[in-house]
Amino acid sequence: MILLFIALPLVIAGLLPLLGRVSKRVLPDVVANGTLAFLLAASVLMRKSLAAGGSVVALLGGPGEAVNIRLAVDGFSLFMLFAVALVGLCAGLFSIDYMEHYGSKANYYALFLVMIAGMNGLVLSADLFNIYLFLEVAAVASYALVAFGLEPDELEASFKYLMLSVVASAAILLGIALIFGATGGVDFGSVARGLQALDDRVLVGFAAALFIMGFGLKAALMPFHAWLPDAHPSAPAPISAMLSGLLIKVSGVYALTRVFFNVFGLTPALSSVLMYLAAFSIVAAALLALGQKDIKRMLAYSSISQVGYIVLGLGLGTPLGIAGGLFHVFNHALAKSLLFLNSGSIQQATGTRNLDEMGGLAKRMPVTAATNLVGAMSIAGVPPFNGFWSKLLIIMALVQAGRWGFAVVAVLASVLTLWYYLIIQRKAFFGKLDERWKAVKEAPFWMLAANVILALLCIGVGLYFSLTIKTWIQPAADTLAKGVRTVLATWGM
Amino acid sequence: MVLQTLLLIGLVLSSVLAILFKDLLRSAIALAAASLLLGIIFFRMDAPYAGVFEISVVAGLITVLFMLTIALTKGGEAAESKAVAIAFPAFFVAFVVIDVLVMRKLLQKIPALAGPAETGTFGQFLWTSRTFDLVGQIAVIFAGVFAVLALFRKGKDKDE
Repeated sequence: MILLFIALPLVIAGLLPLLGRVSKRVLPDVVANGTLAFLLAASVLMRKSLAAGGSVVALLGGPGEAVNIRLAVDGFSLFMLFAVALVGLCAGLFSIDYMEHYGSKANYYALFLVMIAGMNGLVLSADLFNIYLFLEVAAVASYALVAFGLEPDELEASFKYLMLSVVASAAILLGIALIFGATGGVDFGSVARGLQALDDRVLVGFAAALFIMGFGLKAALMPFHAWLPDAHPSAPAPISAMLSGLLIKVSGVYALTRVFFNVFGLTPALSSVLMYLAAFSIVAAALLALGQKDIKRMLAYSSISQVGYIVLGLGLGTPLGIAGGLFHVFNHALAKSLLFLNSGSIQQATGTRNLDEMGGLAKRMPVTAATNLVGAMSIAGVPPFNGFWSKLLIIMALVQAGRWGFAVVAVLASVLTLWYYLIIQRKAFFGKLDERWKAVKEAPFWMLAANVILALLCIGVGLYFSLTIKTWIQPAADTLAKGVRTVLATWGM
Repeated sequence: MVLQTLLLIGLVLSSVLAILFKDLLRSAIALAAASLLLGIIFFRMDAPYAGVFEISVVAGLITVLFMLTIALTKGGEAAESKAVAIAFPAFFVAFVVIDVLVMRKLLQKIPALAGPAETGTFGQFLWTSRTFDLVGQIAVIFAGVFAVLALFRKGKDKDE
């Protein structure tokens, strides 16, 4: 059952190009979105079986042969599986109409599903080397998806992304090699035990630095962010949504926290490094976002800033901080995907991403404008939307821990966030309708449907935030708060 | 030890040459030389399978593919900015210095791994203990194949 999260998207991805020969559009649309819907249902169902025990470590045996596939699901991985399936499904629905003019839809969905399989595989791994491997699976698929439009700027952005990602992978692999050399194992259990027995701060510190650099590059934490403002805007809108909403969180934040909390054990030094990097990201990226004219580029800088919030909460390491950080992972995934999908609707309707050229679009695209307002208010942290609660939790955790400086930074940067989202609202949707946009029409059905679903989720999670925290966030936060004991005791490794 | 050091120096030098050469063909040959040396190092460190793969696939197959591509495309002179010529050596020297300093500290501390802990052949070990890696391998190959299919598809106009 657990292996299905990886195997199903891979198998369907293999079949899609063949199905694409039979039917160019309808069949790939139905099959790909059906797969994503199935994964979403499976992750919801799995929560029930997990509720009793807390975690499942599955050792799969093959028919007759000894096969060693060890997968681990606990609250944290299940939460990520759920987020991946949910946002993936919305991006998939959006693609039905949006990817129409790109051609070769079957191939697009195949790559999309391979990326999903890579992210799911990473989340389910209980082994450092498997994390690296599935990181690469998701990354290779995403390089191709960023360049999917084949325009020169898209190819350039993809190449830049590829080059910086390779540096990240090399750093991660070197870190894993050092850890393997020191502990003699790569699975979480033996590494955690080996590191406890090994009293060597230089080695562990150096490996941790390599991981911060590698996973930090993947998560686009400043100063490792240079690739993101190019790669995310250039990709087709649903892919921008996937990259900003999910990929940076799974291959960056998830991997970073899983390794540092459950394998290394969070030390005060690590915690400070993460928090300072995060605070720097929050402020610098918010200031950079203010100056952008390209709507998707502004959103990309905003992602860097919001990842800062997430890492700030997680890096603090208190139970409340962890819960806030994880809640913000979920909320940012919903809201930022919504905003990127919105920008795709705008780009398809007007042919431009330049905010200065837009204006008054709310009259022509009322649903897009309304959903965009929901997404913007959510990320900016306006009550009662979901983003407000997660930011509140993070700030409360900072105050509770007595880190007043960081709390002030988080509050002030949230004002900056509101400022640049109001710029988008004012320039794109309000004001006088430009002559050129008189004939602009509202986006087609599936694009609207994806936007409306995400907007409703933003509002719903905001209104029922305590329920969301209880069902999804708290089990995830618990596994992180338990630190190394999660792997050693609960997983029984 | 001397031979090992020479091999390592050769590896680094040929890798650097692969980056610095302006001519793509020379660059590809330097890369092949680097991976050949790496393969020999693998052999000498008791990792014959890694050595075989490195030499046959990276030094052999991939070099052939590079050469074919270069021969078939015969692009013009690549224009390069001066910044690369200055920045790269500076970065490289800094990297080597840091690398040497860190590694000298680390090398004495890394305990030698206990002898051949795994029983059975390489194939058995791969299949029984690292099966999940094979799933990942398949996924990486899928991703690569679909990427090539997507990036080299026919243009939008011809598609219809």
